[in-house]
Order: sequence, then C-alpha cells, then structure tokens
Amino acid sequence: MNVWLQCWSGYVRLTQRWPALAAIVPFIPVVALWTAVTEAGVFPRAFLPGPLDVVKSFATLTYKGILPDYLQDSLIRLFAGAALGMALGIPLGILIGTSRWAHRICWPILLFFQAIGDIAWLPILLIWFGFGLTTMTFVIVYTVLFPVVLNTVLGVESVPRDLARAARSLGASPARVLWEVTLPGALPNIITGLRNGLGYGWRALIAVEIIVGTSGIGFMMFDARRAGSTTEILLGMIILGLLWYIVDAWILAPLERATGQRWGLVTS
Amino acid sequence: MKTLSLRNLAKTYFDPYAGAHVTAVHDVSLDVQQGEFVSVVGPSGCGKTTILNMIAGFIPYSGGEILLDGKPVVGPGPERGVVFQSFALFPWKTVLDNVGFGPKMRGVPKAERDRIAREYLALAGLSHAANRYPNELSGGMQQRVGVVRALANNPAVLLMDEPFASVDAQTRMTLQEELTRIWQERRPTVVFITHDVAEAVFLANRVVVLSKGRILDQVDVDLRRPRVWDDLVNDDEFKRLSARVLQMVRAA
Repeated sequence: MNVWLQCWSGYVRLTQRWPALAAIVPFIPVVALWTAVTEAGVFPRAFLPGPLDVVKSFATLTYKGILPDYLQDSLIRLFAGAALGMALGIPLGILIGTSRWAHRICWPILLFFQAIGDIAWLPILLIWFGFGLTTMTFVIVYTVLFPVVLNTVLGVESVPRDLARAARSLGASPARVLWEVTLPGALPNIITGLRNGLGYGWRALIAVEIIVGTSGIGFMMFDARRAGSTTEILLGMIILGLLWYIVDAWILAPLERATGQRWGLVTS
Repeated sequence: MKTLSLRNLAKTYFDPYAGAHVTAVHDVSLDVQQGEFVSVVGPSGCGKTTILNMIAGFIPYSGGEILLDGKPVVGPGPERGVVFQSFALFPWKTVLDNVGFGPKMRGVPKAERDRIAREYLALAGLSHAANRYPNELSGGMQQRVGVVRALANNPAVLLMDEPFASVDAQTRMTLQEELTRIWQERRPTVVFITHDVAEAVFLANRVVVLSKGRILDQVDVDLRRPRVWDDLVNDDEFKRLSARVLQMVRAA
C-alpha cells in the first residue's frame, strides 16, 4: 500500500516538473496493448502492423521528404482557411451580436446553413470549382466560420450592458465602445470559437484531401489504401491525433486560459 | 448657480406584456446647485433609477426636459459621470487603466493620464492596487475604483445609482464616510440614488423623497461635516431627520 502511495506521489511531482509527461504516460498501456496484439499474431501483419513498423515508415517517409511536404501542405491549407474564416466570422458575429436587426435577419439563415455539413457541399463544389484548391479552401472556411460566428455572437451578448454604458458616460464614442469594450469582452468566447473551428476544420480538411486532394496527410492515407499499405494509413491517423493535441494543448488552450481566467470572466 | 435642472420630467413606456402604457415618472421638477450633494430616496419601483438613467442619457425621456448648465441633455456624455451598483469596471484593464479611461477618451497622452489616475487612486487610498485587475479586488475596493474613475473625468455632475448596495454593511459605512470626505475635498455636484434612508441623510445636503414617480417632499440636511458614523449614530438631529424621512418613505 505504502509503495503505491510513494509511486503516486513521485508521479505527481514528476508531472508537475515536466507537464508533457502527463500527456505521454496514459498512452503507454495503449501502445503496450497494441504491441501485444500484433506480437501475438492475432492478425496478419499486412492487416494490422505493429508500432515499430509505423515508426520505421515514419522514418522512411520523413527521409524521402514526402511526409514533411504533405504535412506542410495540410497545415498551410488549414491555417489559410482558418484565417479567412476568422476574417469573415468575427465581423459578422459582432454585427449580429450588436444589431437586433442583423440578428433577426441573419440568425435563421445561419442555422439553416450550419445544418448543411461541410461534406454535403462537396458534390456541388466539385461541379463549380473542380478538384482543386478553391474547393478545399471553401470547405475549410465554411467549417471554421460557424463556430467562430456563433461564439462571437455569444461573447458580444455576454458583455454586461453597464460596461458599455460606463464607457459611453466616460466619453467613449460608439466606435470606441466597440474597440474598448465589446471586442475585449467577447474575446474569450471568440477564442473558444476559434478553438472549436480549427478542430472541425482539421477533420474537414482530411476528409476533403481524401476526396479531392493531390497532396496532404488525407491524400497520403487514401493513396496508401490504393497501395494496400496499412502502415502508412496508421501513421497518418497517429499524426492527425498528435498534431491536433499539440496545437490544442500547447497553443489554443493556454490562449483561452490567458484571456478569460486572468480577467475573471471564466471561472475555474 | 444651478447646474442640473429637471423640468416636468416624465417617462412613459409601452409594456408589450401588459399591452398598455406604463408611467414610471410623472412631472418631476428638481434643481441641483453646483457643489450640492442631493440624495434621492424612495421604495423600489418609485422611479428613482429611471430618473438617473434619463439624466445619464441611457434612456430617452418622454416629457419635460433635462438641462445641464442650461443645455438640454441628449444621450450619454462625459460631463455626467456615473457610478453603477454593478461597479461596471472593465475586467481586462488594470485599476490604473480603468481610472485613466475617461482621460484616454479625451485624448490625454499616456503619461499624463497615468499621473491623473494615480492622483485619484491616492485620494481613495488605492495607490497599492494600481496594477491589479478588478477581479483581484474586494467589492469595497472595486467600488472605490468605480467612484474615482468617474471623478477622474471631472464631470459637471456625478450620478450614483445605489453604489454601495452590493457591499457588506461594515464596508458600506466606511465607503460612505470616505465619500463624504472626498466630497468635501473636491466638492463635486452629486445626485445619489438609494433606498437606504440613513445613507441618504448621512451623505446629503438635501434629501428628495420620491414615491410612485413623483417628488413627495424635500428635506434639507444641515449636519456638520466631516460626518462620521460614530458621531452621528447618537446625534439627535440625525435621528430626527432620519425618522422624518423614514416616515415619508414608509407612508409612500
């Protein structure tokens, strides 16, 4: 019993020192189970490769330069789409959040188009724009747009009315109120929207690359299916999870905490 | 030397749920002299906050007029500073930047507005909190910031809407004493809204009793200053005035 407590205490202190450890340790049993299943020969190797095969494939593809190129293509598409989605979504969200008329007119339309999922646009997009970058960008922007708009509206509406009144009676013009009160007040929600939007966008991107891509991680995985390489498919899946974890846990979540919690707008 | 003038002020609005027009304020006329401290006291629903919101320019009025130094009031403006019951501090700005907000809107350069803000923070004994964020302060300290933020903008009239209603009783007494001290030092023109009779009498030169949207009566308060609760609690004049106002409010 005592030994367990000692181990637990050691683990807690270790993860406090290296927080990345807390993210890695839970995967040890998962990888161990995976290894055990493949080593036991339950399935043929070509059907389910082991972790070591995937690592080897990672090394080869990186050495050949295919993986870095594809990864770069995917990330550039994601971030370009996300930037465009934000550039459209934040102003639209602020307009809907501040104007009762804009809200009445846009809200039903917004909910209607939100229901038509990103992939459901593909058939018509392929006819309009063909198999290319325009189609891919459209889908990413479309996916990122809705969480950003909806969360921005929520953020704008959550700013207490007295704050805008205080700013006005301290001499702020309506435009200054927008910049000094509405935007910073809505910022924690905007970041939450961005976080959700990027998450959805990442998934949509892979789906689109599988269907229309000529490069990228999604394309790599689907191309591997044609060649029957389960190793490369698994490698692609692991990269998707790993990359998102890094972006979310190391960039987006700290950003969200830094704004909301510092100001006491978000409890916890 | 009157600064603020309400002439036959009225507010009627349409209640869509009741399907009828409701009159919140009837025919209120009131003059506030420069440097005067006027308390407006009355039970909830008497229209006192509606009157303050009209003076502040947050809501339009439906009859009569509001004049500030002879000019009609339209919309909110920096010559009418407001202290809110909810404090309404900007959570993403430090205490210093909150107090410097009014000067910033006037285009005062950073160094100068920091100097102004520090001067007013010192007035409220808050110099040590300049670089903290509002949510790191107690309610009493937050409202001190709210008061000096409005004062730092040098308004012609300071409008206070039940500013001490959401702090604990002990802190409230301290804040009331500090407000009378600051008022004596700076002599701002103040309209103070409250439902607390003792608070209204303690702070003001004149108490206006409001009932059902009308002014019931006005009582002059000539208690000597500085006013401190330890002295006034047993002061006969204070007790007599409070009892008189309380009677009017309860009969209202």
